[in-house]
Amino acid sequence: MPPVDLRSYPFSAVYGMDDAKRALQCVLVNPNIRTVLIRGGQGTAKTVLARSVGRISGKRIINIPVNVSEEQLFGGMDIDSTIKEGRAVMQPGLLSRADGNIVYVDDVNLMDQRILMTLLNSVLEGKVVLEREGISAEYSTDTMLIATMNPVDSDVSPHILDRFDLCAYASIPEGEDGKAEVLRRNIEFQKDPAAFVEMYREDEEKLAANIERSRKILPLVSMSDDLIGVSVELAAKVLADGHRGDIAMVNTSKALAALNGRDEVMRKDVEEAAMLCLAHRRNYVQEQEQPDPPQEQEPEEQEQEPEDQEQDQEENDTEEPEDQEQEQQPPPPDTDLQQLMDDMVFEIGDQFKVIDYLNDGRRKVSRTSAKKGRRMMVESSDSSGRYARSRIPQDRTHDIAFDATVRAAAPYQRTRDHTDLALNIQKQDVREKVREMRAGCTILFLVDASGSLGVRKRMSAVKGAVLSMLRDSYVKRDRIGMMAFRRSSAELVLPPTRSVEYSYRKLEEMPTGGKTPLAEALVTVNEYMTSYSRSHEGEMCYIVLITDGRANVPLSEGSDANEEVLKLAQDMAIPQVRWVVIDASSGFIRFDNAERLAEALEGTYFRLEDLNAERLAESVRAVIQ
Amino acid sequence: MEKLLFPFVSIVGQEDMKRALLLNMIDPSIGGALIKGEKGTAKSTTVRSLAKILPCRETVEGCPFNCDPTRPDMLCPYCAEKLAKGEKLESRKVRMRVVELPLSATEDRVAGTLDIEHVLKTGEKKFEPGVLASANGNLLYVDEVNLLDDHIVDLLLDSAAMGVNYIEREGVSFSHPSRFILVGTMNPEEGELRPQLLDRFGLSVDVKGDKDTELRMEVVKRRIAFDMDPSGYTKQCQAETDAMREKVTKARENLPKVSADDSIIKAIVTVTTSFGIDGHRADITMMKAAKANAALEGRTEVTKDDIRAVASLVLSHRMRRRPFEESAFDTEELERCLQSI
Repeated sequence: MPPVDLRSYPFSAVYGMDDAKRALQCVLVNPNIRTVLIRGGQGTAKTVLARSVGRISGKRIINIPVNVSEEQLFGGMDIDSTIKEGRAVMQPGLLSRADGNIVYVDDVNLMDQRILMTLLNSVLEGKVVLEREGISAEYSTDTMLIATMNPVDSDVSPHILDRFDLCAYASIPEGEDGKAEVLRRNIEFQKDPAAFVEMYREDEEKLAANIERSRKILPLVSMSDDLIGVSVELAAKVLADGHRGDIAMVNTSKALAALNGRDEVMRKDVEEAAMLCLAHRRNYVQEQEQPDPPQEQEPEEQEQEPEDQEQDQEENDTEEPEDQEQEQQPPPPDTDLQQLMDDMVFEIGDQFKVIDYLNDGRRKVSRTSAKKGRRMMVESSDSSGRYARSRIPQDRTHDIAFDATVRAAAPYQRTRDHTDLALNIQKQDVREKVREMRAGCTILFLVDASGSLGVRKRMSAVKGAVLSMLRDSYVKRDRIGMMAFRRSSAELVLPPTRSVEYSYRKLEEMPTGGKTPLAEALVTVNEYMTSYSRSHEGEMCYIVLITDGRANVPLSEGSDANEEVLKLAQDMAIPQVRWVVIDASSGFIRFDNAERLAEALEGTYFRLEDLNAERLAESVRAVIQ
Repeated sequence: MEKLLFPFVSIVGQEDMKRALLLNMIDPSIGGALIKGEKGTAKSTTVRSLAKILPCRETVEGCPFNCDPTRPDMLCPYCAEKLAKGEKLESRKVRMRVVELPLSATEDRVAGTLDIEHVLKTGEKKFEPGVLASANGNLLYVDEVNLLDDHIVDLLLDSAAMGVNYIEREGVSFSHPSRFILVGTMNPEEGELRPQLLDRFGLSVDVKGDKDTELRMEVVKRRIAFDMDPSGYTKQCQAETDAMREKVTKARENLPKVSADDSIIKAIVTVTTSFGIDGHRADITMMKAAKANAALEGRTEVTKDDIRAVASLVLSHRMRRRPFEESAFDTEELERCLQSI
């Protein structure tokens, strides 16, 4: 056992969190489980629990900061020794120290996605391959990764989630008794940590002993084919992709059996394992797709909730919301219609070539061929990106431009001392690399899918416009995401991705209907994009809000929904984000809600029709002639 | 201690992926393979496991660029100089390797750069070979190829296209042969591949997880058995692994003997035309793949079955499609084409 850190809270003193505790014990018992994620809101003691693992495992916990650089984590060049010794000397990274220990990442969702992916792969394979900056190395690292995250911030992609063998959801203990107990323990710990730790020493020792014993039992634990079958079927039931879930199920079931002192897996182990292995691998997408045979021409697609369906049926009898009928109807007042338009799926309308709606010089026809659009080069702050030129470093640098350094030193070689080196490089010679990378661009489409847009197939036009803009992004390789709001909430339909095929499907399936919770949408997008932009530094983000701007669901009951929206919009300050508001309203009387909203957001304003590049060109021509 | 890899012969199913990789080993000029598919479908495991079944090849003793002595037209400057001086190039048989390009690789380590040690010790410029040099004559594997930095992709493309790595940077001017089997794996959910890079891959495979419970159970059992006792499990599969390597080596030797008559040429052209594919690259690749497939099956004559086996691998990523269309390979259409001849 390592020296006990008196300041660290004991594992067994953490109240509740049974799933997370179980997951952590499984990792300690079964060396074939290597990665655990603990998800939970703020103040659920995720971090405390993760750190307390050191004491019961006898392993060191190596903390990896979220903003870690690739050199720090995997290893890079040790500049001082390199210059002193006259050969490329490697500086080992954090991971090399992790061999035989535990790596811990807090707020893992805020970590650079590529570094996180490499970290996960290194841990899972037990091997780090390094090809960086004159250093070519490969070293093995036998370690496990514990990560925590708060899903309220941006989430990690399913691809990354799948690489976590286990995932536990931490929740705040229910009821006042639980809360009181947490508080009581906390106060006690604060008052006298040493005494508190002492109080739990016996429990901790017991736990540690049980883990040690379980490790020994593990190789003897058997699992019947029946239960392996059950595991696989469970994984299939939640539509988990691939085999990682299946394998984790078996490994975890065995660990659980061992922890319970058994040498045979029982059904309840499998059930417990499912909670840890499958929840984060659950797939929803296909569930809806499968029972849905090729789409028919009917414009209304039945919705998911059965209660609503009945309601609709009644209304259908009286009003018959046939598509053709709607077309002939004049734009009616929204309230009744919204109800009756609940949950319809409109097909995607006409597409067109879009204008360069994201550039500030508004209403210019985009010349896609002539310019690279908004993908400009920016100086990169870390050592990723292309080595463009060199410069004299401001302070200590890790990214030396060697050619330039050698060149800088060359003239002085005759006057400098040479011991056994041919070249004497001094501090003032050192140049660092200036690297450039293409600035990425993320566009989040915030789409109003409320009933008021169901009027006169307006939603089809909106979908057409969104798809046109998606296509534009495809050409420019931006990251795109989609959030839709209707009824009482906003839902992230598609987290920002470069893959547009998925977005197409999501767009096609997006139902329309219900009221317009615009204020709620602004709050949701604010939360989401604030943390998103934090984890994608240097990336320009756009939120393209497509709405008629007529809110009718206030946040707090009784207040004016539209005024609330404007007030919210004025207070909005998401870093690196620019707003584009596209007015989707139609009809003879055009309300200026969307325009005022654009003003409040300090964003650019377009009418839906104006997005069409060709039509714009036409109107310009008309004016000139 | 070398970490043991899950044996190739023990991977359940995924026949298309295995075939695409084997064909490339038999004829590296097919142009590599791109493996796309959902997560957790043994993509990386399969590629890495090739290390144990890759055939042997000739290389110049001590050459840092892995020059091939049988190709005097494709030598690095050092070997070329030796040859010009009338020295003999010592040849050595080595096993082909899987060279991995990590995502975090920097340009200088990929293309090669100044040898810092040499510069410091002697004050002379010397070239330090990078990943593209070690990849020469080997298999270059890029995991998550769609996440690779654009400027690294550019380097790969240049070498893959020309078989030579030209370096003009940091005051160095150098070139050396860099011919490799490029294998990339990716999950399309994370983003698409640049079209230029997509074109570079000779074959492509869409991998899907098996849905069959029995098969999935088998996958799990084998994996767990391997994890419990890697060396024991590897030993158990040794005979089968050796046989597979032998099969590949033999197919490689027999490849020059494989012939295809006019009806096969016609069939290939008909198929590519009916799938709406322009240019000749698909035709040529299909012929190479079909021949390699025949060699793999131990035949010296290409048959329609070979075309059946390789058509989707050759065509699926070349079929023209608009950004938002789902692409699906139409096996019925293929059958119609083949029947018509």
